[in-house]
Amino acid sequence: MFLLASVSIGGLYAQGSFTASYPISFPMGDLSDYIGQTSFRGVTMEFNKRQKKNLDIGLEFSWHTFYERQDKKVYTEGTASVSGIQYRYTNSMPLLAGVKYYKETDGGNFMPYAGLGLGTLYINRSTDLGMYRITNETWQFALRPELGVLIKAGPGVSGVLGVKYYAGFGTDDLDGQSYFSVNLGLMFSNF
Amino acid sequence: MTIKLRYWLAMLILPLMSGCYPKGAEYNEELDIVYTNYNPDFNFSSKTTYALPDSIIKITGDNFLDPDGNGKPEFVSPANTLLIFNQINQNMAANGWTKVPKTSNPDVILLVSTMTTTNLYYYYDWGYWGWWYPGYYPPWGWYYPGYYPPYITGYRSGSVFIQMVDSKAAPGADNVPVEWSAILNGLAEGSDLSSRVQKMIDGAFSQSPYLKH
Repeated sequence: MFLLASVSIGGLYAQGSFTASYPISFPMGDLSDYIGQTSFRGVTMEFNKRQKKNLDIGLEFSWHTFYERQDKKVYTEGTASVSGIQYRYTNSMPLLAGVKYYKETDGGNFMPYAGLGLGTLYINRSTDLGMYRITNETWQFALRPELGVLIKAGPGVSGVLGVKYYAGFGTDDLDGQSYFSVNLGLMFSNF
Repeated sequence: MTIKLRYWLAMLILPLMSGCYPKGAEYNEELDIVYTNYNPDFNFSSKTTYALPDSIIKITGDNFLDPDGNGKPEFVSPANTLLIFNQINQNMAANGWTKVPKTSNPDVILLVSTMTTTNLYYYYDWGYWGWWYPGYYPPWGWYYPGYYPPYITGYRSGSVFIQMVDSKAAPGADNVPVEWSAILNGLAEGSDLSSRVQKMIDGAFSQSPYLKH
């Protein structure tokens, strides 16, 4: 919270921006084994501070919800079998600090960027079977490379289109969770 | 854009998010689960006859209390007993088993009980069956050879518990092995309860192919 506050307050005096975007996320690896469905539920907020002409540092907070209903199936382990309908949920909340490098083209109206974020994914995976819920909660170290483009829409407002790849690292509780997100959003800046 | 407006935007996003959170089960049937487990060393295919009591008992606690002193536990209503037994008999017959009276030396005995508590008692008092089980005498009882049923807690749940006991395992021994167990669990309410129980009994047999001859 302190970091968030300092970046935002910093934004009042220095050059800063706030980006809100809508992500569509595609599960990969262990996450896609568990939930194969694309997620249309999520939100991404970024607070960035312009450090140099083409360089931002900032924070990202996101929330991605993956969900899938599994029709009635028999799950067998050893001699035990359980059958029922499963509702599977994975909530991922990335908390990341990152840098972004912009390349100015078309006189600043069109700015492709590349960035790298570092931080954690808070993962809450729960499986509902019958009246019972099995929950697995964990924090995973995460890297998040991203690519995108800013399209200037007016003074202080730009459209953002980007791709982020969240790569969580496995913990004792859960294998590394990873997914791609395609983000569409708006950036508001005081520059 | 002012800082204030940015925060309003941020504040708006969170409630919007919670509004579209995915839903879970909407119908009682979606909460039904069937659990089965068995002794892998038991040769089910060499057994062909079974016996069934004439009543289904209600387990009301892990100790058998007999407040009315008639030596019998509480029983499930005759209509529900018939419903459950018919479905079990149908499945047993389809799997190649023959029903015989308990006096005809059956290979296995099926004990059927129900629970509507928050807990399942897999080691409930053997005294519950003293009124019926052939050759019963304290400290008769059972054990689960090579596996253990899970410990489950829940709420508003109802369960039908079926135990297949090897009645010939060790004559005269204090404990008889439960070679197969099935637990049908779900919400103990709703007008479709009967049909759900029937479906769950079918499910218990279909997910236990080793019972088939």
